[in-house]
Amino acid sequence: MKLKFKRLRKRLITLLVISLLVFSLFGCGTEEAMDEQDVDLIDEAEEQVEVVRLEGGSDDGYPTPYAHYSRGPGAYKMNLIFDGLLERDEDGLVLWLAEDYEVSDDGRQYLFTIRNEVKWQDGEAMTAEDVKFTFEYSSEHPMVRTRVEPDEVEVEVKGDNQVLFTASEPNASLLYNLGRVPIIPKHIWEDVENPEDYLEEEAVIGTGPYRLADYSQEHGTYRFEAFEDFWGPRQNVKAIEFIPVSEDIMAFEQREIDLTRIGTDLLPRFEKQEGVEVVQRPAFWGYRLRFNMQDNAQLEDKELRQAISYALDLEDMVERDARGAGVPGSAGILPPDHVMYNPEVKNYGQNLDKAEELLVDLGYDQVNEDGIRYNEDGEKLCFDLFVRDSTIRLAEIMNEQLSELGINLSIRSEERQTHDNRLHNNDYQLIIHGGGGWGGDPDYLRERFMTSTDDEEYVDTQSLGYENQELNQLLEEQRYEVDQERREEIIFEIQELLAEDVPQIALYYPAGYTAYRADKYDGWMFMFDHHSLTHPKLSYLTRE
Amino acid sequence: MKKVRGMRVIEYLLTVLVIVTLNFALPRAMPGDPFLIMSETEEDVVVLTEEQREYYFELYGLDKPITEQYVSYLGDLLRGDLGLSIYYNEDVSTIILRRLPWTLFLVISTVILRTIIGSLLGTISAWCRGNFFDQFLFFNLITISEIPAFITGLLILFVFSAMLGLFPLSGAMSHFTTYESLWEQIVDILHHAFLPIITLTLARLGGIYLLARNSVITVIQKDYLVTARAKGLSKGRILLRHILRNAMLPIVTRTFLSLGSLVGGAILVENVFNYPGLGLLMQEAVNVHDYTLIQGIFLVVALFVLVANLMADLIYKHLDPRIESQEQTTS
Repeated sequence: MKLKFKRLRKRLITLLVISLLVFSLFGCGTEEAMDEQDVDLIDEAEEQVEVVRLEGGSDDGYPTPYAHYSRGPGAYKMNLIFDGLLERDEDGLVLWLAEDYEVSDDGRQYLFTIRNEVKWQDGEAMTAEDVKFTFEYSSEHPMVRTRVEPDEVEVEVKGDNQVLFTASEPNASLLYNLGRVPIIPKHIWEDVENPEDYLEEEAVIGTGPYRLADYSQEHGTYRFEAFEDFWGPRQNVKAIEFIPVSEDIMAFEQREIDLTRIGTDLLPRFEKQEGVEVVQRPAFWGYRLRFNMQDNAQLEDKELRQAISYALDLEDMVERDARGAGVPGSAGILPPDHVMYNPEVKNYGQNLDKAEELLVDLGYDQVNEDGIRYNEDGEKLCFDLFVRDSTIRLAEIMNEQLSELGINLSIRSEERQTHDNRLHNNDYQLIIHGGGGWGGDPDYLRERFMTSTDDEEYVDTQSLGYENQELNQLLEEQRYEVDQERREEIIFEIQELLAEDVPQIALYYPAGYTAYRADKYDGWMFMFDHHSLTHPKLSYLTRE
Repeated sequence: MKKVRGMRVIEYLLTVLVIVTLNFALPRAMPGDPFLIMSETEEDVVVLTEEQREYYFELYGLDKPITEQYVSYLGDLLRGDLGLSIYYNEDVSTIILRRLPWTLFLVISTVILRTIIGSLLGTISAWCRGNFFDQFLFFNLITISEIPAFITGLLILFVFSAMLGLFPLSGAMSHFTTYESLWEQIVDILHHAFLPIITLTLARLGGIYLLARNSVITVIQKDYLVTARAKGLSKGRILLRHILRNAMLPIVTRTFLSLGSLVGGAILVENVFNYPGLGLLMQEAVNVHDYTLIQGIFLVVALFVLVANLMADLIYKHLDPRIESQEQTTS
């Protein structure tokens, strides 16, 4: 009830803001004055922007690798202060604290050469010892975001500035994970016993481009200032401030913040506004339809799942559910923005004739007076579809599309906790599952679709009742393949198999819009696997 | 009389026990558990592994029998321990204490403003009963108080902050600045609090206005006013000493009784203005599914309402001696 009310309120607020903005088109005399003020903020001699302000207002924790809160905004603030061995740009991993790395042929050894001239923010020099210390310390005290499992690797220092990691087994995503661990100074952390409670000023000393200059837990405000002795590319922005914002669109209009997410309704307004750039975010979040094939013999038929794919109009879903701000799902699961997306996978499109043909071949050749298709045993194509209360519209659209084919859905909407509990217990026939992380390492396909029963670790709960030995083998193979090209080939093949078998259907990936004041700062970029402009460190640094 | 007081104390204690029990039972009656997050509407959420979930289950004592949990919950409460926040990894009581002053500041300022303005306008309305001014006030104040506070708030925010630029758009104070004097700091905090307080006052003005108006109208018709007028007392004296004083009783009670609903209103208004009080904290807690924190906030708000009721009881007795004597006769 409370949540419903909240949503209603949110909608009302959005409506009100939109109508107010429309009115305000007719007169707002403050903009010119504001422009002048902003020009002052840009220090022309150095071409550094004095300050970029972003939406804050909710506490994300003290930005150490141990005390930030688990959500994204907490992690990336910490990453402004702490560097990893590698960093992410638009296309993939780039060298960062490491100036070079080598991977042995068997994929078990990683030799990183650490930069020489790196300084901690307290003036001490950073060395290979710090790197070794970080990995040993974090295997004893796991950081908020665990990248490398304890005992997954052994670390030793080689020579002056090299660190050798030896993994117990080859692992394709290990490089990515090793590279992302924030390196912490040994001289500060070695005596700390409870890192979660270590909230001293020294706790936020890293090698990164920014220092924490001000933080208020109560107000959710942060101020980061450029670290003058930073080893790497020069900061384009001298200070980054996170301030409380009541209404983000209004705050953006008033130039209180320099970047905000906007809905499709506001697109025309901002696209034409001078000095404002609008970009669509990459689609790394998605809704997928999951089948419980174990408890429903009907769904075990691949052809039925294919027929459902043919009956769905995913573009229509994007249009009506996301108001155009999204990308239709790929049958190969990986979204089109993913670096290993296979553009050649089977594209179902909407093809009702084909869908009907498949169903008739399966024996569902009769239709009763309610328009529901059934076979000679009297088995009807009626399913329960479970959704979260926030996804009810998408379910209705899906029901409308499937009913044309004679498939009937009873939609059951539930609040989050009940819904998640159902997902966890596999207590459903069909369920729409929304979640993120679709841009990450494609090893997540293994977590979703691996169903080998030989090894207990891999008994998956996500695709119950589905099994394809060829797929299992490929999923296992890609995991250990450290040759990136070969791995990409395997991932491409996996996507083709998934598109053919349809163990899940990716419905669509929402991809909203972000507007920013390009006349103030325009160095924003997306990392290859993430959809936020403010999260990448490189967004604030000089690029070549 | 002592017996009556005793009954009252037991009544309050029972209410507290019911609230505490509900607060304990409701989250546990929900399916699943707070650490199970499978789907998300937001980005970048860390989904806990089975081992981590078990660890948290143990940490929060959720693996113990329900009666044992209840007893230890009551024990913790008696020690003022509201538990550990799941998301913020900090004592719930510490987090709440940090935010509570801001909400209290809003609520108390509103109560004072609203009572003064509401009773003043109500008295004027009653005095001019039936003429244009009365009708004008009546219609407008009732209309305004029927609009939900967050809509009024948004309108006010848009007009005074966004369009006219007279007040800040959000927050409770200026950030990343140092104040030169205490006075400067006070002015800054008042500047930030002005719109939220006005919004809350406007939204809650109608009730007090109506009450004051009715109350004054009733008093005006009393015989002792005829006497007062006949004595030739001045208008001001009649209004203050004879009318307002007698009409104040229900207003005072109402003021305390409404403290609870004001906290509810403050929750909405804080969200509109991004004001760092309990309301905003509650929204954050709901967003991150922090059950211990939500429980803690509910408990504090519920206790606040109870205390307000108790105060209304006591003050009413003090102001109106008739209540005490009635109780005496019944006992």
